[in-house]
Amino acid sequence: MPEVIETQQLTKTYEGGYFARQDVHALKSLDLAIHRGEIFGYLGPNGSGKTTTIKMILGLIFPTSGTIRVMGREDIASADVRRKIGYVPEGAYYPDFLRGEEVLRFYGQLYGLGGKDLEKRIDKVIDIVGLGHARKRLVRGYSKGMRQRVGLGQALLSDPDVLILDEPTTGLDPLARKEIRDILASLRDGGKTLMISSHELLEVELISNRVAILYQGQLRTCGTIDELLTDRDTTIEASGLTPEALEKMKQAGISAEDVVNGRGLLRVPKTMSLYEAMDACRQAGLAIGSVAPRRETLEELFVRIVGTARREELASATA
Amino acid sequence: MNFFRSTWSIALYTWREGIRKKTLLGFLILSILVIFGSTFMTAFMAAPQRAVDLGESTVEADVQSKLIKDICVSAITIFGVLITIFISASVVPQEMDNKVIYTVLSKPVSRFQYLLGKFAGVQLIVLVNLLLMTLLFFAALWIRESVIPTLILWSALLTYFQFLIVSAFTFAISCTSTSSVLPTIGGLFIYITGNLTEYLNDVSARVSESTNAVDYYIGMLAYGLYRMLPNLRDFDLKDQILHLAPNDPPADAMIPQLLLAGSVYALAGYVLAYVLFRRREL
Ligand SMILES: Nc1ncnc2c1ncn2[C@@H]1O[C@H](COP(=O)(O)OP(=O)(O)OP(=O)(O)O)[C@@H](O)[C@H]1O
Ligand SMILES: [Mg+2]
Repeated sequence: MPEVIETQQLTKTYEGGYFARQDVHALKSLDLAIHRGEIFGYLGPNGSGKTTTIKMILGLIFPTSGTIRVMGREDIASADVRRKIGYVPEGAYYPDFLRGEEVLRFYGQLYGLGGKDLEKRIDKVIDIVGLGHARKRLVRGYSKGMRQRVGLGQALLSDPDVLILDEPTTGLDPLARKEIRDILASLRDGGKTLMISSHELLEVELISNRVAILYQGQLRTCGTIDELLTDRDTTIEASGLTPEALEKMKQAGISAEDVVNGRGLLRVPKTMSLYEAMDACRQAGLAIGSVAPRRETLEELFVRIVGTARREELASATA
Repeated sequence: MNFFRSTWSIALYTWREGIRKKTLLGFLILSILVIFGSTFMTAFMAAPQRAVDLGESTVEADVQSKLIKDICVSAITIFGVLITIFISASVVPQEMDNKVIYTVLSKPVSRFQYLLGKFAGVQLIVLVNLLLMTLLFFAALWIRESVIPTLILWSALLTYFQFLIVSAFTFAISCTSTSSVLPTIGGLFIYITGNLTEYLNDVSARVSESTNAVDYYIGMLAYGLYRMLPNLRDFDLKDQILHLAPNDPPADAMIPQLLLAGSVYALAGYVLAYVLFRRREL
């Protein structure tokens, strides 16, 4: 079975002004594959080319070179393929002089839907995104979270197989975020494939099956969360962390993080046994709150990968 | 079927959004004030004249009537063309700005369909505005002169085709830009040049008498432009409205040709818009 979305050698260069040629190489030879039924987290610092990739998949901009296949098909601009992809752009506006359900009706008509079919579909979508209580209200009065639900709703009208979301939870409060996340996870569980670009790494870690990290238009890492987050160590939550105690721990090779009022988190390196660490704590006179194993977070991986990429870039620039 | 349904819903959406614009409303209200004001004001001024002997007062009334017609026709044209340019210049750039265009074009909607819907929506707005202003003028004139002023309707028809040409080319320019400033300026330029084509003809005629090579090329250019550009003056029936009776038919029988020419220019403008927009990066 073909990949849901596949790019080969995808390259995009934005041409600079007419006079001072300053081309932006937004994507460089990107090979990406998104499998059926997964949530694919598409990560990267600002300006790394995430939105550029997504816009090319949707045919809003055109590749400089390379190919894009959606479910094995290259005619990504055809109505057939468009019907299979739902898209929620970053920071989009939904006509605020219309009611929630009118916005969906407008977008539904763009799929050629009408009459009872359309109304049924609108009811279904409103149910999925949880806008039932507000469907008759003007979008003007909607909160950001509700607007984002409208956005999600308009992308779901054709019951697409693929959903592409560009920063779907930016600017939402924790509750709204959690709700959107739950909706996305249930869509995945219902068999859809999701591609999500985001800066909310905690969130991505929670719901993604696979992630890719992009830096300056190049893919730096791609894999399942379990493959990528393998580094494990142990943390000790301790109190009594006076400056002298901290100094002693440092000599023992244990670093402390987030120390507030003498309480903090000690990070035990992989090379040290837990017994040694506990001994060091006792000698420094620390009280131990808890001892827990932990694995590297996506955020740490991101910082590590992007940091390395940046250093490499600097080194090659000065060399 | 689907083609028309989605195109029509884009047009309707454009209309619903367009009529909410404050600038448009402002122009419309201004034009209504001018039409109302001029008919009222002169009615006021006419009152003392009644006392004067009959012969003079009909001359006076005639002058006044011309003045009113002049003001009203000018108001309809000027505000009409401002509304046309403003709305044609802004519908596409605005959607790029607020990103509605992304959600629309990622649906099974072709760029051709999208533009067609937008353009139809613009025409809907332009037409309704023109109709409102014309009907008001029509009513005022009917009451004043007690004959049905059918000439106004002929004039409105031609004025619409004039607007259609300006609209199509303004729209085409707007398809290449991200803000409505440039297309607005472009639209005004088109409207003004379209009204000055007679001068181009003059230039080419005058220069043709000279033997200077530079003059020759200037003459050729002026002549070329004269032939190529639409002469918007031809679509203007103001002189006839001023000098003929309100219920006279328009004096020259060029109307079918003008309508055809207007449609051809509008089509050219739309095709240009599509060519510019087809592969545009959004
Ligand atoms: N229309 C454009 N013209 C020129 N350069 C552009 C254009 N759009 C994007 N770029 C550049 O291309 C690069 C990639 O941009 P892109 O928007 O894809 O990044 P992103 O990963 O989505 O970033 P963010 O996280 O900030 O949304 C950036 O350097 C950006 O400045
Ligand atoms: Mg982006």
